Amino acid sequence: MSRISRRRFVEGTGAGLVAATAVPLKGQEQRPAPPTPPVPHTAIQVTVNGTRHKIEVEDRWTLVELLRDHLGLTGSKIGCDRGECGACTVLLDGKPVYSCSQLAVWADGRSVQTVEGLARDGELDPLQQAFIEHDGPQCGFCTSGQLMSAKALLNHNAHPTRDEVQHAMTGNICRCSNYNRYVESVLAAAGTLSASAGRKA
Amino acid sequence: MNTLNSVGHPSHRIDALQRVTGRATYTGDIRLPEMLYARVLRSPHPHARIRSVDVSRAQALPGVKAILTRENCDVIWGSGDTRNQRYLFNNPVRFAGDAVAAVAAVDRHVAEEAMRMIQVDYETLPFVLDPEEALKPGAVEIQPGGNLSPNNRNERQPEVYRRGSVDDGFRAADRVFEDHYTSSHINNAQLEPRVAIAQWEGDHLTVYTPTQGISNCHTEMARDLKIAPEKVRIICHFMGGGFGNKNQNHDFELMAAMLAKQSGAPVKLEFTRKEDFVSVHGRWPTKQYYKIGVRNDGTLTAIQLRGYSGMGPHRKSSGGIGGIEIYQCPHVERSVYPVYTNMAVSANLRAPDYPQGVFGLESLMDDIAYALQMDPLDFRLKNMTRKFNDQTPYTSIGLEDCLRRGAEAFEWKKRFHAPGEGTGPIKRGAGMAMGSFFSNMGRSSAVIDVDSRGMYHVHVGVTDVGTAAKTTMALIAAEELGVPLEKIDVIWGDTDRCPYSVGESGSRTTTHTGHAVVEAAKDLKRQIAAKGMPQGNDILTATANTNPTPPANAARYSFVAHFAEVEVEKETGHVRVIKYVAAHDSGRVVNPLTATSQVKGGATMGIGMALHEELLYDRASGKPLNAGYYGARVMTHLDAPEIEVHWIETEDPYGPFGAKTLGEPTIIPSVAAVANAIYNAIGKRVRDLPMTRDRILGVLA
Repeated sequence: MSRISRRRFVEGTGAGLVAATAVPLKGQEQRPAPPTPPVPHTAIQVTVNGTRHKIEVEDRWTLVELLRDHLGLTGSKIGCDRGECGACTVLLDGKPVYSCSQLAVWADGRSVQTVEGLARDGELDPLQQAFIEHDGPQCGFCTSGQLMSAKALLNHNAHPTRDEVQHAMTGNICRCSNYNRYVESVLAAAGTLSASAGRKA
Repeated sequence: MNTLNSVGHPSHRIDALQRVTGRATYTGDIRLPEMLYARVLRSPHPHARIRSVDVSRAQALPGVKAILTRENCDVIWGSGDTRNQRYLFNNPVRFAGDAVAAVAAVDRHVAEEAMRMIQVDYETLPFVLDPEEALKPGAVEIQPGGNLSPNNRNERQPEVYRRGSVDDGFRAADRVFEDHYTSSHINNAQLEPRVAIAQWEGDHLTVYTPTQGISNCHTEMARDLKIAPEKVRIICHFMGGGFGNKNQNHDFELMAAMLAKQSGAPVKLEFTRKEDFVSVHGRWPTKQYYKIGVRNDGTLTAIQLRGYSGMGPHRKSSGGIGGIEIYQCPHVERSVYPVYTNMAVSANLRAPDYPQGVFGLESLMDDIAYALQMDPLDFRLKNMTRKFNDQTPYTSIGLEDCLRRGAEAFEWKKRFHAPGEGTGPIKRGAGMAMGSFFSNMGRSSAVIDVDSRGMYHVHVGVTDVGTAAKTTMALIAAEELGVPLEKIDVIWGDTDRCPYSVGESGSRTTTHTGHAVVEAAKDLKRQIAAKGMPQGNDILTATANTNPTPPANAARYSFVAHFAEVEVEKETGHVRVIKYVAAHDSGRVVNPLTATSQVKGGATMGIGMALHEELLYDRASGKPLNAGYYGARVMTHLDAPEIEVHWIETEDPYGPFGAKTLGEPTIIPSVAAVANAIYNAIGKRVRDLPMTRDRILGVLA
């Protein structure tokens, strides 16, 4: 693949520019460091997407922080970090939870499924396939959460109605507001799209 | 319309697999070695002078690596205010949420702890939230020179558009109608909060950021940091929406760069959701005073608007109140006052000038149609624009078809009735509205190379804000090159690898960058014809730097009409949208699958704006009360009706394969369509947005 130099397309503004500077604040280094209590840690065992992890976590870490920053599973997103948007939705022992509103220590001895665990042996989950075909993601930032809420629904209700899908997923905000497409995708994955009352554009 | 091979066929996104497997890398997913985490401390006061900032305790906290305040950082954020100098940290602070300090530390917990240790001594100042109040004598001066933001000629005058003479127009009228409307501050609320990673390697700066335009972000970062553009690289792989508030460069990117410089380590600066709500920007709140003259046969004779837009303390954007151009009328006068206030900053949110302006305008037009005992649809068919501002012919116009075919699909004649007709606890009503949006043409570049395997690599400076821009570019390239979509590889989102592209704002990517792709593809085809396909390690490369303009005597616009049916519960004031039809003329539709998704999304956002979205302010303290998704009542799955989409594909001689603009028109008439449906249902007019239950009950009482 060829590399295109940006220089060929951007007019340089030439020399003579002075770099902006940042200097440490003066005269304020003398004060002693405030005493900082050690951060409490706990050793936990958690199964994530079928893999067992033994890990020492800080008690203040949220589950999504553990997944994203310490286990490298960045598919779950942080949209609000306070249990409003659902972008961080994962399955905890099969139930959908906002992983921003769960502490990592609470996952001790439990099993977590994230979006990275949906595809099996290279085969996409039918939900993922339907999300592609029915154009579920626009910007895609809420998509992992939408998928996990949908997965939780189909796990206990294989053939939901449109209304049931909307209720199950209403905790997952999509600001692109592609709600029609997400519902359509879930119904398609469940094989109930044609049976549902709604229209398809 | 002739059929093409790639363009016009529903195609799933070329990056859909990454998006559904969690493998799409957004800025927040990136971790660099030794990376620090940064947080921003913000003013709790709407207006205050800072007497002192004491960072000593924070600086002494183990793990804290850099702290910025106005004292050691005087970078001016050029794109943060087009009229006044806006520093990264301002004194006085002018809105609750204005940045006071930024801290970088070994992890985000330490950064947050350090932030809490910074002591700021504020001298609070009087504040004003309402734009009309801010213009009254004696109001606190928010920016030097007064609260009316100067126009482009630096005059303290409202922005005025005039044709004919409204006095003549009102004299010629049989009847004159007047009313006033308000709209509220609404946050863009894109799912991905602001996050940037800045890394210096010597004097070269790399910034990973979710931007709507790598090219303008690039030049503006260099400008504000006073370094040569070739020393700045902007990277945006995937980004989680913006709707106008991630275009250009931003303060968080500059802060990350300055913290990285001071600490000597890469810095990731993250905004919380609340910060993203109160400290970035949202749609400007407005007050609108309309006066319209009309003959008894329904012919418009004059339209006058006096409007006030609350810009917050900085002028980032126009503050316009748009929509009048959708009507044919000989005498028009529009005066809009963009006013500084101590609310959160206002700037672009999907069709910045329009949904609120069209709400006021189309509400009054509806009332006029009813008063003249005309069907609102017929009234619009009679008075809709035929030439832009009654002067300039359009390159193509499908507005009449949008109205007629939309009405047919909606079964307008069946659903529409006399206002307030019917009995029972649930009232049903139908409403409609129309709109238009400038389909811009202009500068962008593209590079396409082909290798000996027959793969075509399309280099474009797009980031794909959720519109499927990458897929659109691939379809356009495949069409022009005459190869299957699978042979196209799109390289995007990196200023070191991509040429200039217009920012993904103004709904311009398809028309600007798509045009450059067409021209580069044509050049490559000529080269292949002359030299044959490349062999071995050879490649052929074609570039295009295009800047097309429509002819001087033509205006290029997209058109739209939306139709809504609602149910209103008389006892509770609850409104439910039960049927919705959107008819759009965006010229040729490049990808019907993703374009339809955009319409569904834009219309749904508009329904939220109509019914419940708002960033509320406490008048006593000047502080925002409900930042966040639940508080500001953003649309959810349960709120979203099915949006039925119809395409009116006019043949337009310009734009790639005749494509016109799409993203923003989708929200323009939706607020007004819902408002008019509510009026039709209950026979009472709600003049303030959002039309919440208490306001519905208020007009019913």
